[in-house]
Amino acid sequence: MQAIEAFLTGRIWIKQFIPFPEEVIQEATEKGSARVVSGISADGQCARCLETSPDYVIPFQCATCGEVCRYCRTCIKMGRISSCTELVLWTSPALPKSAPRAFGWVGSLTPQQETASKAISESIRKQEDHLLYAVCGAGKTEILFSPIHEALQKGLRICVAAPRTDVILELSPRFKQAFPDAVIHTLYGDSPEQTGYGEIILATTHQLYRFQEAFDLLFVDEADAFPYSLDPSLERAVKKAGKPSAPVIYISATPSKTLRKQIAGHSTIFRRYHGAPLPVPVYRAMWNYEHHLRKGKLPSPLKDWIEDKLQKKQPFLLFFPSIQLIELASPLLYKIDCAIAAVHSKDPQRKEKVMQLREGALAGLATSTILERGITIPHLQVAVIGADHRVFDRAALIQIAGRVGRNAKDPTGDVIFFHNGITRQMDAARQEILFYNKEGKA
Amino acid sequence: MNCCLCDQALRFAPSWRGIFLYEPPELLCQPCRNEFLKIIGQGCKYCGKEGEAVCRDCHYWEEHGYRDLIHSGKSLYRYNGAMKDWFHQYKFLKDVLLAQVFAKDLREALANERALIVPIPLNAEKLSERSFSQVDELLLAAGIPYSHLLEKCGETLGEKTREERMATKQLFRLNGEAVPKQLVLVDDLYTTGTTMRQAAKILQEAGAESIRILTLIRA
Repeated sequence: MQAIEAFLTGRIWIKQFIPFPEEVIQEATEKGSARVVSGISADGQCARCLETSPDYVIPFQCATCGEVCRYCRTCIKMGRISSCTELVLWTSPALPKSAPRAFGWVGSLTPQQETASKAISESIRKQEDHLLYAVCGAGKTEILFSPIHEALQKGLRICVAAPRTDVILELSPRFKQAFPDAVIHTLYGDSPEQTGYGEIILATTHQLYRFQEAFDLLFVDEADAFPYSLDPSLERAVKKAGKPSAPVIYISATPSKTLRKQIAGHSTIFRRYHGAPLPVPVYRAMWNYEHHLRKGKLPSPLKDWIEDKLQKKQPFLLFFPSIQLIELASPLLYKIDCAIAAVHSKDPQRKEKVMQLREGALAGLATSTILERGITIPHLQVAVIGADHRVFDRAALIQIAGRVGRNAKDPTGDVIFFHNGITRQMDAARQEILFYNKEGKA
Repeated sequence: MNCCLCDQALRFAPSWRGIFLYEPPELLCQPCRNEFLKIIGQGCKYCGKEGEAVCRDCHYWEEHGYRDLIHSGKSLYRYNGAMKDWFHQYKFLKDVLLAQVFAKDLREALANERALIVPIPLNAEKLSERSFSQVDELLLAAGIPYSHLLEKCGETLGEKTREERMATKQLFRLNGEAVPKQLVLVDDLYTTGTTMRQAAKILQEAGAESIRILTLIRA
């Protein structure tokens, strides 16, 4: 495979930023292997992220081309695209080559995981979409390894997409170990450039904007918000990145009803890989907690709970509904013990602090919902402060509860919802966890 | 519409003013708006920097051959984290829409201005690359009429150190339009004041008597 072909196959790239000389691109275009398209189509659609809303595709007087251009705000962080920006697509198809491939994963699956894994392989063979509905800690990644290995041997190009960078970074070393001879690209916001042909692409959902009809098989991890009601462009990104016939495997612990209805093929796992039930949330009233915090007092139920965990030397996470509340609470928490720190989404030291909690250098962390997923710390205890707040919906609360008891050696722990009145979302989350435990036992 | 910085849905806040008078739609949510800090009170006479009556940078210029070149000046906002983000997204990610964010502030600052308003230009190559002139767009968004009197020569200050900036000699030339006696120079960001001093010098030599300056941000 030619270098430029390896780079461009399946991608849609701003011509100016293609890491090859102008003449090489020119030659490819003349031969018909590559095609140049306008960044924004005549009817106002962004060619990269497929945005069409006039709230995001904005006209302006462009000094580059001298005309009224439109530019897309939705994908602007990846380098602005306007009507006069040229995008290049590779048009010659890449033919899949089947060959035996190394498989470096040596673990074993529980019978339930095995069933799900086989069902996914079957869906892929039939080119049908599939939903893997499995509780937090069910061992979802392991379930995917065997179907992915099978697809790799058939020469399929595979994508695993997840909404958050943390998840992609966690998957990357596990995939490299499982598929030692595959070319794996890991793509997220500031990822280092990877220019060759990736057989397996691990990418944040946003990075899929840069692909077009690239993949024979897609996995969408943490697909709970799917179909993305808040950001429909991400859903379009998944569809655009896959070939028309490519099956999509959705993975979620809390899939929406729409997704459950939309997809015919289902696998469900309501039991954790270690077989113990999920910890069930406990409600504890903490009236006017916000008022107390504003007055500089830590509400006593919370204080007692924290002191109990400190005494037992168990690491804990305190989930707060807003950054403002974290800021109010963190000096009060520091007063109890200086080994309680705070993190939020804009904190550059987020990774380090989580690491310190895992290693025991920190006793606890106050956090926004940013840490609700993807964290595994042995013996972890969890409290939600203001579980009645609207940021804590059913899915968020289930995810938060799912942080606890993930380790086979200590499958229990506290999940406590401090509230100012019980909400339906809290009840829905608790009911669902009870349902999983009942189903999982059967 | 969503907030053009954080993309959260904007909450519509009804007001009596909104019922009786046309108000342009808000582009930012209140929390994002609150992140920007206005420069308040009397700061440096020449650039508006908070603190002393003449800041360190302007003091340097006054002592080094640029005495009384600038009559007076003012900056509207501090260069804090939020402003850095805005500036980056506007100027370097080329999000032209963000010119609207400070339209009201610039309108208030310049609406009753009778002197000629002269934006600092960028050179032709840079303009073609960026696709818009960031100062012109700010003024256009504010609905303030302006005229160009200057052209930018080859050099740009962007990547220079403080010392290199202050030693830069010729940044501008006249574009041939008549230079009035009174004018206001407008720029986006005041860092050391080199740009403004250079522009003012050449305009003074061409006959300007009273030169005032206005910048959106004082670094």
